[in-house]
Amino acid sequence: MAKIGILSFAHMHAYGYASSLNSLPGAELAGIWDDDLERGEAAAKQFKTRFFSKMDALLESDIDGVIITSENIRHRAMVERAAAAGKWILCEKPLATTVEDAKAMVQACKKAKVGFGTAFPCRYSPPLMVAMQQIQSGAFGEIYAASCTNHGSSPGGWFAQDKLAGGGATMDHTVHVADLLRWILKKEFTKVYCELGNQLHKGSLKTDDVGSLHLEMEGGVQISHVASWSRPKSFPTWGDVTIQFIGSKGVLDVDAFNQKINVYSDAAMKAEWAHYGGNPDTGLVTDFVQSIHERRDPSITGIDGLRAVEVTVAAYQSHKTGKTVKIGR
Amino acid sequence: MNVAIIGCGGMGSYHAQMAANCGARIVACVDAFPEAAKKLAATHGAKKALGMKDLAKILSDPGVDLVLIATPTPTHLELVERAAAAGKHIFCEKPFCRTSADCKKAIAAAKRGKVKLFVGHVLRYFHEYEALKAQIESGKIGTPGWVKMYRGGMFPVGSKKWFSNFDQSGGVTFDASIHDLDWLRYMFGDAERVYCQALQRTEPVLMDYAQMTIRMKSGLIATVVGTWAHPSGFRAKAEICGSAGLLYYDSAESPLSAQQRESGAGPGMIIPLGADSVSPYQLEWEDFLAWVRDDRKPRVVPEDGLKAVALAEAALKSAKTGQPVKL
Repeated sequence: MAKIGILSFAHMHAYGYASSLNSLPGAELAGIWDDDLERGEAAAKQFKTRFFSKMDALLESDIDGVIITSENIRHRAMVERAAAAGKWILCEKPLATTVEDAKAMVQACKKAKVGFGTAFPCRYSPPLMVAMQQIQSGAFGEIYAASCTNHGSSPGGWFAQDKLAGGGATMDHTVHVADLLRWILKKEFTKVYCELGNQLHKGSLKTDDVGSLHLEMEGGVQISHVASWSRPKSFPTWGDVTIQFIGSKGVLDVDAFNQKINVYSDAAMKAEWAHYGGNPDTGLVTDFVQSIHERRDPSITGIDGLRAVEVTVAAYQSHKTGKTVKIGR
Repeated sequence: MNVAIIGCGGMGSYHAQMAANCGARIVACVDAFPEAAKKLAATHGAKKALGMKDLAKILSDPGVDLVLIATPTPTHLELVERAAAAGKHIFCEKPFCRTSADCKKAIAAAKRGKVKLFVGHVLRYFHEYEALKAQIESGKIGTPGWVKMYRGGMFPVGSKKWFSNFDQSGGVTFDASIHDLDWLRYMFGDAERVYCQALQRTEPVLMDYAQMTIRMKSGLIATVVGTWAHPSGFRAKAEICGSAGLLYYDSAESPLSAQQRESGAGPGMIIPLGADSVSPYQLEWEDFLAWVRDDRKPRVVPEDGLKAVALAEAALKSAKTGQPVKL
């Protein structure tokens, strides 16, 4: 039995992970810490576990690992403390808001010899898994280009506060697709260009709410990506992850969350989507639990998280300079 | 109104029908391949069907009021100059010319010849795009902040495969996405700068795929994707995101869909199959003819054709340099 704690419910993905943990036979949600007492206590009640008012008390307990779902800017300090306490770590995306922080986190976990993973559940989304297998099989030949989106509705709160999130929609919605492209194409990014806008919410946000990015990967693969909080409240679902792959042998379109039936209910007074298919969160958490049992890194590592951070940071830099930014190692 | 069709391929033939629908008479057909001219002339009962080298005979004919130019893009300037010098009104298929410098010369030639010059940016007449325009103007979605335009499908064949010569055609950026570039200007004003990635491959498969980000002077950001990389089909999409809502159009969700088994020649040029009361191509003809007849200003003026070309030109320059290009 792997005992796992959750640090902070600031990020709503914590609720999905907690519910997945409770559904797994080999895992136990052993405790929750949150700097927001009310939120933490409510979550502990909801998921039938203990609330810790002190982070160190949870880290010093007999838990094996932690899932960190705090505000972006707080990830580094929590990862370093959890690593020092010898716990296995699964950290919410984006791993960090600077390349320096992400590198320090990877280093801290290496030094403490603990497993360190980044929460990129999309790798466990069935349509994306099929897309990865198809492209890796060579059925679509060499991939020359891809056009991607990761749209969402505005999460508000700390997500749109620069000093807690490190950016806006582009910080929030670039890393998933960046990671998927690395995973599917087995290539690294080389260049980034980006235009940012704060113009979809009447300027009420303090951060960007849309970013239109152009990326290049090794071998000159041409990629466009749009990260946004552009879905209105009346939209039938929260958003999307889409990729159109252009290959020498054909074109492959993935619309990852389009496993849905259309729901028209007078109770909601708007069209809604009901999803079917696998639960990516459960895939992610299952691998994390497995990594604790096997004393290995989770399949999606801290380095994967770092590489995606590099792309996002370069995007913000490109917007500032108005030029293409090279990513080099 | 007596019309001479110059360029009797897919687009020229379609335009001939549209002009005829508006009550104009097709009196002459000209093509680099005289056979194509003959075939189209027979369809419309035109008396004259000639090869391109005999174009002067048509242009000097006082019985011709206007010409339709639907030839490969790099030939447009010379044809416009000759037709204008002969005093014929001109309907020129988009893209206006291959360079903005050529567009300016064409505009000057029309002025000198005192003829009306129309550029076929037909998207401004598409019912679905007019519906998008009406929704935007109603204020229902608030202020638009980000727009995505998507267009394309399979690689067009065209006469002598001229589309596959990227220097000649400018690829999907210049030939297909230019519809969206014009429409963006039509709706949201002029562009500030553009960044573009253009695939333009000839090996191992002929294909093109263009991805652009355009920052408009208003601050609006537009993402434009054009494809000639698909094995088959055609699809157009438009998504307008505003401060109070979102508009989405996808041609795949159409009231009419059909799949034809391969025809002998294959498609030379894809013209979207619609279910409209009046074809948008006919609407642009009506607009053009009203301009010629009644001096009523049309929806597209030659400067629009020039600005669309300038934007596509900047996009291809960006694709080459890997940096954004200011307009």
